[in-house]
Amino acid sequence: MDENDKPKRQEVIETEVTMGTVHSAAIEPYRVRLFVEDEIVRDAEITVGLNHRGIERIMEGLPVEKANSLTEKICGICSNSHIWNSVLVAEKGLGIEIPERASYIRIIMGELERLHSHFLYLAHGNEVLGHETFAMRLFYIRETVMELLRMIGGNRVQYGVSIIGGVRPRCELDLMRIQKISEGMDLIEQKITEFADRFVSDPMIMSRITGVGVLTKKDALRLAATGPTLRSTGVDLDLRRDMEIYDPFEFDVITQEDGDVKSNLLMRVLEIPESIKIIRQALKNLPSGPITDRSWEMQDTGIIKSYIEVPRGKLLHSYALEEGRVRGSIVRTPSITNIGAMQQACIGNHISDAQLAIVQCDPCFTCTDRAIKITQIQI
Amino acid sequence: MSLKSYSRARAVHAMLVYTGGCNGCDIEIVNAVFSPKFDAEQYKIFLTWNPREADVLIVTGPVTKHNEKPLKEIYDAIPEPKAVIAVGACALMGGVYKNIHGDIPSEEIAGPVDQVIPVDAKVPGCAVRPEDLLAGAVAALPLLLDAK
Repeated sequence: MDENDKPKRQEVIETEVTMGTVHSAAIEPYRVRLFVEDEIVRDAEITVGLNHRGIERIMEGLPVEKANSLTEKICGICSNSHIWNSVLVAEKGLGIEIPERASYIRIIMGELERLHSHFLYLAHGNEVLGHETFAMRLFYIRETVMELLRMIGGNRVQYGVSIIGGVRPRCELDLMRIQKISEGMDLIEQKITEFADRFVSDPMIMSRITGVGVLTKKDALRLAATGPTLRSTGVDLDLRRDMEIYDPFEFDVITQEDGDVKSNLLMRVLEIPESIKIIRQALKNLPSGPITDRSWEMQDTGIIKSYIEVPRGKLLHSYALEEGRVRGSIVRTPSITNIGAMQQACIGNHISDAQLAIVQCDPCFTCTDRAIKITQIQI
Repeated sequence: MSLKSYSRARAVHAMLVYTGGCNGCDIEIVNAVFSPKFDAEQYKIFLTWNPREADVLIVTGPVTKHNEKPLKEIYDAIPEPKAVIAVGACALMGGVYKNIHGDIPSEEIAGPVDQVIPVDAKVPGCAVRPEDLLAGAVAALPLLLDAK
């Protein structure tokens, strides 16, 4: 080959590295295209749609309570959030006031779910960054939460706690259950404190995750990131403060500044004690009285929307009621709005860190596979 | 017991393929293998993500049409002898996604796992319990160990 024929360094062509649809690094089926130049990711593209089961379409025309149970099957991680929000839509439309005790039990379930989701995130994150001991340790702590969820809901994944008008009778918190939950909270608090000490004082882990997968505040806002992913860039936005149901509780909203993997992991570590704080307050001030009020009447409504804050961010459920049946259902999950953030977080990293950058945005591709319409916003 | 089955029984590698369920069974399986509470690794069952290395294929989810081809390809890539365990209500009969609309055929779901690839053991549950999964894995083991 002649010396002049060799491509010059500036002309090195971008190489495409694809992962998926089933790939060892990504547990769930999705497709990532990384455009790489000198092993640095210049652009990333995530394709979803492999898990699309068309839940909104199946919900069309179902009786409302059946549809509510079906929303639980959207996601196995935040199943309680889906049924909770779906029930809230019907309650908002029909003007139902739920008993105070029921709303406290819903909050306890919601926060327990946040705990198990955050532990799963931390365990998965540690596994991806290569520290299997921490991952196993976190899975072990998570088992405590799973046992509590199973005790209240009767199942480890699909709890089915909320129904229109309150919570299911089997989810009543008697004295034994309250005792067990508070014991579990003590145990988790002790374990997470120990974990946090070891985690932040480990120089190897800290150097591995600092400055990797940086998402700037401007990008996070431009790409409509939500939940902890947005809060980790320094934006103080938590829908729980706006939800009426959370008014009696005192808690802090955690924010971090850097938007990298370190601040995302620390976000979760610091949010866990806040959830424990809320659960303790709810157990202490648990009002007495009935937990279900089934004296409501069905009527037709227009399209109703309900937003709540779930472990991953802001969740929307919306549908109209017609003769007790669901019409025009829309579900907008937090992970779908975080896809843009995932792509952005990959850019500028070494290719071996790309998976870590995706995982830091807490992906859940069962939630993500919704039909979407994208509109550009100006900031 | 031949040397082959003796050594096979000491390193059973299971591959998990997720074909469009709700994630619940997946996490429970990873939990069953990884978490110190259930810890399938003490029975020498390891989780792998490489089909060429795997002995057991664990399938969850109702197999959406997009996932049908990858699932078949993965099944073909696993060397003989192999066993397939279908896990969870969706993998066994399509779950709510296939059945809740009655007789109307679903446009998204290609059918339960046994319509796509042959299934050796079935583990029911929505979501499956880690204990049940361990029992299912034990039921599929003779297929691997007795094979020549």
